[in-house]
Amino acid sequence: MTLLTVRDLQSGYGKVQVLYNGHIDVEPGELVGIVGPNGAGKSTFLGTLAGSVRASSGSIDFDGASIKGKNPEDIVRLGLAMVPEGRAIFTDLTVNENLRLGLTGRREKSGAQQAVDEVMDLFPVLTTHKNHQAGLLSGGQQQQLAIARALVSEPKLLLLDEPSLGLSPTVIQDVFGVLARIQERGTAIIVVEQRAHLVMSIAVRTLVMREGHIRATLSQSDAQDEAKLAAAYFGTGEDRE
Amino acid sequence: MIQTILDALSYGGLYGLAALGIGLVFGVMRLVNFAHGELIAIGAYLFIVTIDLGLPLSILIAVTGTAILALLMEFSVFKRLRLAGPAVLLIASFGVSVFLQRFYEIIFGALPLSGQIAPWMTGVIEFGDTTITRGSIVTIVLALILLGGMWFFIEKTTLGLQIRAASSDFQTARLLGVRSNRVIGAAFVFSGVLAAAVAFVLVTQRGSVDPLFGVNITILALVGTVIGGLGSLQGAALGGFAVGATISLLNSFLGNYRVYTYTWLFILVIIVLLVRPGGLISNKAVKERV
Ligand SMILES: Nc1ncnc2c1ncn2[C@@H]1O[C@H](COP(=O)(O)OP(=O)(O)O)[C@@H](O)[C@H]1O
Ligand SMILES: [Mg+2]
Repeated sequence: MTLLTVRDLQSGYGKVQVLYNGHIDVEPGELVGIVGPNGAGKSTFLGTLAGSVRASSGSIDFDGASIKGKNPEDIVRLGLAMVPEGRAIFTDLTVNENLRLGLTGRREKSGAQQAVDEVMDLFPVLTTHKNHQAGLLSGGQQQQLAIARALVSEPKLLLLDEPSLGLSPTVIQDVFGVLARIQERGTAIIVVEQRAHLVMSIAVRTLVMREGHIRATLSQSDAQDEAKLAAAYFGTGEDRE
Repeated sequence: MIQTILDALSYGGLYGLAALGIGLVFGVMRLVNFAHGELIAIGAYLFIVTIDLGLPLSILIAVTGTAILALLMEFSVFKRLRLAGPAVLLIASFGVSVFLQRFYEIIFGALPLSGQIAPWMTGVIEFGDTTITRGSIVTIVLALILLGGMWFFIEKTTLGLQIRAASSDFQTARLLGVRSNRVIGAAFVFSGVLAAAVAFVLVTQRGSVDPLFGVNITILALVGTVIGGLGSLQGAALGGFAVGATISLLNSFLGNYRVYTYTWLFILVIIVLLVRPGGLISNKAVKERV
């Protein structure tokens, strides 16, 4: 059964419409990419899925039920967790407190400790800094904490908004390296990136967004094709849909 | 001399409690709640009208009643304004404040309602040749217990953690599953409880309550939360304490010139804000938002 099915999704802020034709399909355990230039509406799309931006029309079906119009705090309990752009960790709180907040979004309160242990296993560096203020962590560590905090709710689908933002290349490798292990747990992932190559090499499909529209859906083999990619990304030539 | 220090501590504690009540609500919803004064007033009215039931029952009714009124404000007014900006919230709280003042006037009358709810608090304790008032000791103890209790709740419980998270980034807290209505409701309930505690101390000191009973201390406590750094709970408590203690000290040092207390207070406030515009404990989350 398809985990996430989105059709004709429109949303924006107040009277300003930003997203015009949001659509995506995600199967359980899949990693799907979304790329596109700054201001294309990628974050708005993710925010609409997570419930923090209100959808004006269209449908969002997740795990067999419509989640359109639901609150973010209810959506996360259904198994859809988001790591917002810029990580949004609580810098004044400790690493441990950040993780405890992540537990709020669990459907079942049992198994919480095990979920934390598993995540610590995935990101050993967090164990050493458990009682430190999260603001003292490096950028890469903060990104790991943000992902870990979303994972302790044991989501079926994880939304990552520009996880590479502000990180050095080696640190980006570390963070992206973990995504495969998260998939192994059966968790599906949607990764938004401005750096197209980074995500296209690991995603089964990648949507290309521009000016609030999804302009193309590229397969993994398309990703190797520079011309196709450039055409979709910059809107030169014909749209591929 | 000892009495001067005790007075400063008890005034500081009292204003700290008032400021913390205001700061809690400000933290989670960026609402500067002017109607906090009317929470203090209802607490005082409830203490006085239930005096014949005995102090324990009177405390129970006043604390519960004040907390319920706080929740009622949230449900009937502020909950409907979730998407409104800070200016709208501020004006709305003004409206609630004035409405409640008129409401008290209709129910209880415009004239002060008097009653001694805890006469033993007005007495003095003698140590050799120094005498100190019982009221100041009780106030200090009460403030310590409540500030300690609030500290424990905020720092050590899960709901407290959620309130801290919501205060620094509401959007992200919700994404993690923090229920917005629950943390806001909790903040209002606790601000009501703190208002009732302030009402208890004030009403024992003054012996009467009128519709504008809570206005003065609320304005000064607001000044305290600004000095302490809006958005930081320790800052609010500390700022409130500083304002209360300063008023008390100015009153004793100025003696016959105490009409100038507030002049000096606000001169000091302006100096503090010039030196530290973000308050004593400045909060990043608020700065980014404003
Ligand atoms: N909170 C907001 N309020 C109003 N407009 C916004 C808000 N967030 C984003 N926008 C606007 O929506 C458009 C798309 O932004 P965004 O979704 O962040 O794009 P991307 O993530 O692809 O860079 C931009 O024009 C941006 O200015
Ligand atoms: Mg973005």
